[in-house]
Amino acid sequence: MFTIEVFILAAVFGIIYGFLLQKADFCFVASVRDFVSVKDSRIGKGVLVLMATAMIGWGLALTFGLASLGQVWAVPIGLNNLIGGILFGIGMAIAGSCASGALYRSGMGYLQFWIVIAAMIAGNLLFAFIYDPWGQEAVMEPITFTENGFSLYQLGLPFMTLPLIIVGIMILIVVKKFGVSGFLQGVKNSFTDWEKNPFKQQHWDVRFVAFLLGITATIQFIALSSISVTGPETRIGGVIVSAIFGDQIVYNNLYLNNMFAAYPAVGLGPEETLVIFIVVGAFISSVLSKSFKIRFPKAKRLPSAIGGGLLMGVASRMAPGCNIANVVAGVGGLSIASVIVIIGMMIGVFLVTKYYFKMPIMLFYREKDAA
Amino acid sequence: MSLSDQELKELKIDHELDGIGEVCPHTLNIALDGLKKASSGEIVVEVTDHSIATKTIPAAVKMNKLAEHLGTVKESGNYTIFLRKL
Repeated sequence: MFTIEVFILAAVFGIIYGFLLQKADFCFVASVRDFVSVKDSRIGKGVLVLMATAMIGWGLALTFGLASLGQVWAVPIGLNNLIGGILFGIGMAIAGSCASGALYRSGMGYLQFWIVIAAMIAGNLLFAFIYDPWGQEAVMEPITFTENGFSLYQLGLPFMTLPLIIVGIMILIVVKKFGVSGFLQGVKNSFTDWEKNPFKQQHWDVRFVAFLLGITATIQFIALSSISVTGPETRIGGVIVSAIFGDQIVYNNLYLNNMFAAYPAVGLGPEETLVIFIVVGAFISSVLSKSFKIRFPKAKRLPSAIGGGLLMGVASRMAPGCNIANVVAGVGGLSIASVIVIIGMMIGVFLVTKYYFKMPIMLFYREKDAA
Repeated sequence: MSLSDQELKELKIDHELDGIGEVCPHTLNIALDGLKKASSGEIVVEVTDHSIATKTIPAAVKMNKLAEHLGTVKESGNYTIFLRKL
């Protein structure tokens, strides 16, 4: 697992993800916040395309035996999924970006999101040191209802059955709303939104990028692992504390010890490499399109970056998983827990949009009210 | 309507908003607040270095019929988004 080839493969995946996420400014917070507040469904459509592509991709991988059911990421089900999801949604809305968003924006030169990432890692470690000695028994076990995760693939149906039904229903809803010609026009537009040099183009169509992200994640699922961000970030945090206090601090903590259970030592593995190279991919993409700039945050926004990041770090361990793990690997794997986490995240973003930022919720306004 | 960079720079600006160093949703809220204070027909511009604001602000004002996006000028990593209140 820890050969040089695997590390190189992980770095390549990271660069591709970072490049694509930056090209579409693919922000999961915006997909919910902008839809409910100003009825902008642009990124929301991208998230739906990403989910659909992942479901078809995972289904095909299982059908053709390229991956096994045991590789599907499905975590235990419980109230922790909902609470963790809500807290993660609140955290990312306050911080101004999701877990993957913080990575690609760091590569674009946003110093604010380096702070968010540092706070997230601190939050990951905070959870670990609450989990052991008392959080596991006092909090996590009472609210986790099942010992194992459950994927709808475990129902025993042919693997492509449910992905085709769910994606088919999604397409029917779109066709009902926009008509067949509107749907086909949308597909055509998403593939033809090009200027002279695509690599220098500032933004690519978010639906096209979502499709490519889904394909990339499927290939990663087959060749390497399920995509995740906050798990590897927790290990990066473990490596940092072990460098300062020695490896025993990791081995003596039940949660951190488990995180490194499959590792030969406390160190950075392929998944951590992938996450680090997401930043590199976004840097390359933003330099090519002249979107890179060292951006200094306003001082008054720093408490939100730190507080939101900390909350994301704790919540991502509770749920578990971040936006990208649950939306791509979770939905692709038809995991029940991930669906609950995603609902929680949407609730969290909505609460912050309405009650913290006090933004207008135009989605529910009639036209004359909105005007 | 989308004007050239030169045409945009020649417009008389009625309200200039500072969005430098801000990210979502503050960049959008700054634009929405600025439009609230403007009168119909007035030109409102927001200067920002948050690249996605060049997508979210035009989409939001169009979707909600608040303003017309006249164009965006990109200079030195900053974006000046020109809006005319409807």
